[in-house]
Amino acid sequence: MSEPQSSLLLRKQLAELNKNPVEGFSAGLIDDNDIYRWEVLIIGPPDTLYEGGFFKCHLYFPKEYPLRPPKMKFVTEIWHPNIDKNGDVCISILHEPGDDKFGYEKASERWLPVHTVETILISVISMLADPNDESPANVDAAKEWRESYSEFKRKVARCVRKSQEQEEC
Amino acid sequence: MRMGDNNEGGLGTSKDEPQMNQDEMILAQQRQIEKEISDSIPLVGSLEPLESLNKEYLTDTVYLEKVKDLAKKYKFMRRTRPDGNCFFRAFSYANVEILTGKKEEFEEFYKLAENSKNALVELGFQQFTVEDFYDTYMEVLKRIKTAPTVEESKNELHTLFNEQGFSDYMVVYLRLLTSGQLQKEEDFYSCFIEGHRTVADFCHQEVEPMYKESDHIHIIAACAALNTGVRVVYMDRGTGKSCTEHDLPEGCTPTVHLLYRPGHYDILYP
Repeated sequence: MSEPQSSLLLRKQLAELNKNPVEGFSAGLIDDNDIYRWEVLIIGPPDTLYEGGFFKCHLYFPKEYPLRPPKMKFVTEIWHPNIDKNGDVCISILHEPGDDKFGYEKASERWLPVHTVETILISVISMLADPNDESPANVDAAKEWRESYSEFKRKVARCVRKSQEQEEC
Repeated sequence: MRMGDNNEGGLGTSKDEPQMNQDEMILAQQRQIEKEISDSIPLVGSLEPLESLNKEYLTDTVYLEKVKDLAKKYKFMRRTRPDGNCFFRAFSYANVEILTGKKEEFEEFYKLAENSKNALVELGFQQFTVEDFYDTYMEVLKRIKTAPTVEESKNELHTLFNEQGFSDYMVVYLRLLTSGQLQKEEDFYSCFIEGHRTVADFCHQEVEPMYKESDHIHIIAACAALNTGVRVVYMDRGTGKSCTEHDLPEGCTPTVHLLYRPGHYDILYP
């Protein structure tokens, strides 16, 4: 095979997303010559604290995709229990079965080869609306979310505002 | 060899090291072990005389006796890489290998495979995500089927199954077919699932992910999905001088013969 299947598959998904965009995010490449590194803009989901924000994320795919999952990182600053302070997203579907770094209770929603950029993004958007505080990557955010919600809201609002300013310039 | 059983011990974490690194170290070590295996063992090996098993058990009389017994029924074997996918890879390979040279049966199997994607979509699998694996699966079958001679078909099969891209996609698709079969016959299979899980949960945790090992229930469903019977010959350190045979589904006339040693499947040839 001259071109690895992972790269063909990613090309196909990118073309499909450009042709039939999915509500809530837009997708492109960080560098047009590298199909393994994507840049995605997530629109803060309506009726959540993140509404109105524009969050830029990067997805890094391994050569073994879709057998192994990509990594995802928020480039825009964001305050959320399941996104660590460096922006790394920690949700179960981006982890392989057996990879128990965050001690998830359920193995049911681990990485599967049938996941696509679209299904990943749908999970991440739903995570924004509904944090999982049982396995937090940002412990401070999780604690605030549970115990001082108004402070949590304030920090998220600041991120949303900052993200809007960044988009404008 | 069970992937993942190699993680215990040997890490020697001292108390001074930051706690958070331990899981990452375990993962890194697991990747290292996987790499050593993949560097040294082909995905599907060449045909070897059955007696090559003796080399593994030079001082183990229990196993040597059993190899002797096995040699009465089987002349050759083909090893597969122990990466957690061995059952699916071995089964898939052996099933297609038998079809080479049997034109009508191959056509029949090809039709079954052709219709399988729609069956999966009807069960609720997403067309867009299943398609890539299906397309590769059909391409591999087609290339083997249309090779001019049986010899060339077999060579094509062996080449494609040793190319990681094709080979792993064959595994993924058979995993999907197996998952589909389990979900289609949910009422039946739900009785065999341990740990209060639904059939769908079980498929997401144990069937669809790559590198997850197979149990009886996977094998029965995979056989049903491909409409094939398999004989699994169990060789372990248990008492007795012979290996135990299991035909799955029970009472079938098996076409594929697999050797099972705890944690791993290889292909057997009469």
